[in-house]
Amino acid sequence: MISIKNLVKHYNNHIALDHINLNVGKGVILGLLGPNGAGKTTLVSILNGLIDFQEGAIEIFGLPLSQELKAIRKRSSFIPQSLALYDNLTVLENLRFFAGIQKIRGKALRHNVDYAVSVGQLQPLLDHKAGILSGGQKRRLNIAIGLLNNPELLYFDEPTAGIDPESRTSILETIRSFKNDGKTVIYTSHYMPEIEKICDQVAILDRGRIIRHGLLEAMLHEEKTDSVIIELRHSHEAQLQTLAREYTMVKVIDAATVMMDGPDATQLGAILAALEAEQIDIKQIRYGTTNLEALFIQLTTQGNCDV
Amino acid sequence: MFKAMLLKEFILLLRDKYALAALFIMPSIFILIMSIALKDTFGSDRALLSYAVIDQDNTAESAKLRTFLLSNGRLKEHKAPITNAAQRQEVLNGTLHFIVSIPPGFAQDLVTEHSAALLQLDVASDVKQEMLTLVQAELSMDIIRLRMEKIQKELAPFLPEVAQKLEAMTSKRDNLIQVRFNAMGINKKPTSTQQSVPSWIVFGMFFVIIPMSTVFISERKQNTLMRMSAMNISVPVLFAGKLAPYIIINQIQVWLMIGVGIFLVPLFGGDALTLGDSISGLFMVSLGLSLAAIGTSILIAVTADTVEQATTIGGIINILMGAIGGVMVPKFYMSQSMQQLTNISPMSWGLEGFLDIFLRGQGAGAVITESLTLAGFGAGLLLAAGMILNAKMKRGI
Repeated sequence: MISIKNLVKHYNNHIALDHINLNVGKGVILGLLGPNGAGKTTLVSILNGLIDFQEGAIEIFGLPLSQELKAIRKRSSFIPQSLALYDNLTVLENLRFFAGIQKIRGKALRHNVDYAVSVGQLQPLLDHKAGILSGGQKRRLNIAIGLLNNPELLYFDEPTAGIDPESRTSILETIRSFKNDGKTVIYTSHYMPEIEKICDQVAILDRGRIIRHGLLEAMLHEEKTDSVIIELRHSHEAQLQTLAREYTMVKVIDAATVMMDGPDATQLGAILAALEAEQIDIKQIRYGTTNLEALFIQLTTQGNCDV
Repeated sequence: MFKAMLLKEFILLLRDKYALAALFIMPSIFILIMSIALKDTFGSDRALLSYAVIDQDNTAESAKLRTFLLSNGRLKEHKAPITNAAQRQEVLNGTLHFIVSIPPGFAQDLVTEHSAALLQLDVASDVKQEMLTLVQAELSMDIIRLRMEKIQKELAPFLPEVAQKLEAMTSKRDNLIQVRFNAMGINKKPTSTQQSVPSWIVFGMFFVIIPMSTVFISERKQNTLMRMSAMNISVPVLFAGKLAPYIIINQIQVWLMIGVGIFLVPLFGGDALTLGDSISGLFMVSLGLSLAAIGTSILIAVTADTVEQATTIGGIINILMGAIGGVMVPKFYMSQSMQQLTNISPMSWGLEGFLDIFLRGQGAGAVITESLTLAGFGAGLLLAAGMILNAKMKRGI
């Protein structure tokens, strides 16, 4: 489906993508991870033909991107993180406009709009102006617009940013369902649990290079360590940062998660006591495994990560 | 594809009441106000200047001078007596433009070789030079007429035929000169409506900057343009999709403003607009103006970072182009150097084109230069905007 060979992209003297090699098969949901500036957006923009590149070769659907961009775009769709729609048009007007500019007419127009409406669960909202929809409804419309050409390949950039948990679950289930339709999905997100929930494969980018790519399950299994992960019930970022300064083996993964590399019982006891002294509720303690956040922290070389 | 773009732009515009007001209501109101406000400046016979006479001679001649002045429709006499210097000062600071003082001995001095002035003229400080010249000419002519009458009376006993001829000639004052305004026909005057409608059409057409840049910047900021680009919409197609609806919107503006000039202005006491003979010329100029206005709008929309920036910059550019281009102050009121400066404003090019048709009765051939210059200007701006937008999109801005 997607074949990238030795892709190089640089902006003046700054290398954004450094000899990227990546293959993604049909029907795969690939999570694209990386710290800020790792090159995720640049890679997705290149795959959509929005920016050019200096070296390498890309084939999508077996077609060379440089020569067959228009044909590739007709079969793929990019759903940006921002709500790329018109607030002053109704839901139906938005769908008809974006279908119209893709020259989708007649029966195909009706069929594809119905499909997008159905997947986006937008039927009761068709006559509502997009501007008055809730955040979750707008996200669903944003995705529905991307389905109008019934694409075989979809690029999602943070599709659940800033929405409530219920809408997030609904959107994730929708994206997961694309796999059953044989669609391929490239999914970039900062929410690791989302990636764990819906992706088959993960590619981790760091400083313009792919430092790990493979099946998510196998990746987590291979990385099995003697680390301990403590998940808190609520966010306590300041206290966790203090803890990390006191105990060098403690790494803060996010505002409610810390990881320790092979602590002995005394150290673990001291850390738990410190948390108790701060009256911090612990949700769970996991030993001998890792999760995507932890793996991500381990693999990326930057201390300040997108988690 | 164009149908979808056209429909989208129209729906967005129709739902934006502020844009509708800026595009259609504001220029209509301008036309109405300016046509009525400037009505007297351009064509009417209403009195423009008010004056008072202080007659210290009280003779038949001084009374005649007053009668002559009264017969000039441009002058209106203030009847209240002015008896002292304070009153004189007060009226000149207030309602009057001139005070004509007829000194004692005026009648006697008319036909004597008298080196001193026959009359004294006090002038209010806000009177324009051309108005002062008009009054001076009127008074000079009246004095010469009085002198002729006196001479004619003195000649009558000796040369009755010559005296009769002289009387006939001096008494005939009106219709000595036939006035023909350029391209308007004998006794057809250019009206304030003929001047105002073209000006405010041009100004209104450039107001597409506001709705156009608002929509365009929103599209850019929300990545709608990027999404459209990923849907195989190229920058030229994108621009064409903006051009087509806004050219139609501009044409609607032109004909609405013409309708206001023809039908609405007369209802409020103004003169009705008369359409020139060249609809094709009108269409050529308005098409050129559309391209210039849309090119300006898109360039602003592409370079500005926010809607607020675009509307502020757009508004300022519009007002500056209007002021320089002779929209707000007619070109013929400006000094020579300012008239030269108007040539840098595309509004001036469009205005000259419209005036050629509305005011000077010319055809399509006369407006080819203006139309092509405007179209070239618009195309140049669109090209620059396209290059900037391409570069920005490549950088992901």
